[in-house]
Amino acid sequence: MKNTKGKLKIGGNHNKAGYIFLLPLLIIFIGLLGYSFYFLIINSFKDVTITFRHADFTGLENYKTIVSDFGFWRAMLNTFLLSTANIFCGLTFGFFIAIILNFKIKGKRFFHALFFIPSMLPIALMAAVFGSILEYKNGIVNNIFRTVGLSGLAQRWLADPKLAIWAVCSVSIFLIGIPIMYYTADLTTISSSILEAATIDGAGMRHQLMLVIFPILKNTHKTIILSMLLGGFREMERVFLMTDGGPGGTTEIIGTYIYRATRSAGSNIGLVCAAAMIVLIVAFVISFIQLKLTSKNG
Amino acid sequence: MKARKEKEIAKDLFSISKKNRLVMVIFLLIMTALWAIPIYSLLKDSLKVNGLSNYSYVLMNKVNGVPFYQYFINSIINALFASVLLVFICSLAGFAFSKIEFAGRKLIYNMVLMCLAISGPILIIPLFYIYKTAHLYNTHIAIILSECLITIPFGVLMLKNFFDGLPTELMESANVDGASIERCFFSIYLPLSKPALINLGVLQVMWSFQDFLFPLMFLTRDKSYTTTVAINAFKGVYGMTPQSLGRYNAALVLISIPTIVIFIFAQKFIVNGITSGSVKE
Repeated sequence: MKNTKGKLKIGGNHNKAGYIFLLPLLIIFIGLLGYSFYFLIINSFKDVTITFRHADFTGLENYKTIVSDFGFWRAMLNTFLLSTANIFCGLTFGFFIAIILNFKIKGKRFFHALFFIPSMLPIALMAAVFGSILEYKNGIVNNIFRTVGLSGLAQRWLADPKLAIWAVCSVSIFLIGIPIMYYTADLTTISSSILEAATIDGAGMRHQLMLVIFPILKNTHKTIILSMLLGGFREMERVFLMTDGGPGGTTEIIGTYIYRATRSAGSNIGLVCAAAMIVLIVAFVISFIQLKLTSKNG
Repeated sequence: MKARKEKEIAKDLFSISKKNRLVMVIFLLIMTALWAIPIYSLLKDSLKVNGLSNYSYVLMNKVNGVPFYQYFINSIINALFASVLLVFICSLAGFAFSKIEFAGRKLIYNMVLMCLAISGPILIIPLFYIYKTAHLYNTHIAIILSECLITIPFGVLMLKNFFDGLPTELMESANVDGASIERCFFSIYLPLSKPALINLGVLQVMWSFQDFLFPLMFLTRDKSYTTTVAINAFKGVYGMTPQSLGRYNAALVLISIPTIVIFIFAQKFIVNGITSGSVKE
């Protein structure tokens, strides 16, 4: 509010200055993003190959094919599954670790770094490492099971159609750096008087965590959930390097689905554009909800 | 080292009993043990068959005719240029959205924010076409532009939040002295926003190092591969014999080192950057 007042004092609009400052942004946005949207919309109605010659207008045909494609919806579901795994791990493990690291603990900096670093590493690297950990014959996970005498638990984690997607999701446990960051930042804003009052009322640790702290961090949860929901659409290398969408397409996510469809020889690019448009619309809806939710919480 | 942490001073976030503290420490130790599994597995595999000479082999020998350090140079070039370009675009735009009154400000800002939803996979086909047509395919520029484009909404949001926190009075007093908005920005606000710009720049460097899809899609020559795509290439080249598996894992360890070093030195900037870029009005 103060801002608006200040601006009025300066007086009037500064259209020219405003757009000069926005010029670089507008150039790259209109040139790359604007054109991309235009390109996607136009081509989603066409039958066209990657050389972009001989395009046939086919109307809504591409959309009909995509909507009735089981593989597309499975990829969509898997994308949300991956996001859900990220969110779940963030809200549970991430939350607890942030709380624990908030206490005075020796080696706090070491633990902070330890839990952050996997989120900072290229996911491609994480995927490569976890690919070999979960390997059937020499993977360390199966080896651990065998040495403790539970060889029945040793599985073909990445080759079993039922298990593969869960194996991919399990990497999420290690990607809790960002939630820890958000929680740690917001925990410092909780006033100690609230917690003291709760202690005097005789609330135990479990109560304080679940009934006092967890609800206070409502907005942090929301930030984490919404940003990770969208993050699912950015995922690609985890599946690409661990299972490559297999076995039999059971771990395909949107990222790998679109990449594979683009790269397979002679494929109809219009179809991929239609798929991208549907994904884009879903993502925009999520983004819109995010903006609505956060602006209400002024 | 780890066992000694239970001895603590009370008065933390809230006071807890000894028993609860023990539960927490045990939980922390379990998580640490879980973390140790991939690290142990990676280091052990990297020493397979030939021990430490795996590392020197990876560093000394060329893969597909490209020396190992070339991948790092490519990654660093992409990351630095993307970072500079991003900070340039977002500082100007963030300032405009925060401090300048102009027609369509709210509308354009909301449109930029909506673009937080955009993800790489959606854009690969149109960008592929654009770069092919503009003869940018297989160049660093294609990667730099794409990586920058995808982070702009976040950067604008983060820097607008930052400029919102700076008082408008600075501009008013300068305006009375007859300084133009451009002068205000360059001589007053830009120097003040240095910490935020560094945060954003460091984040972009990190994200650029993580990026996999754009280099995979837009680079076809081994010579210009980044480290992440090199992982994919190594997988094919080094094959599956125990000896080459050792070299492959040694390469993975070497690739992770720069990120860890960046993180240790820039932890503060990364944490500040990410937390100040959350959507709030």
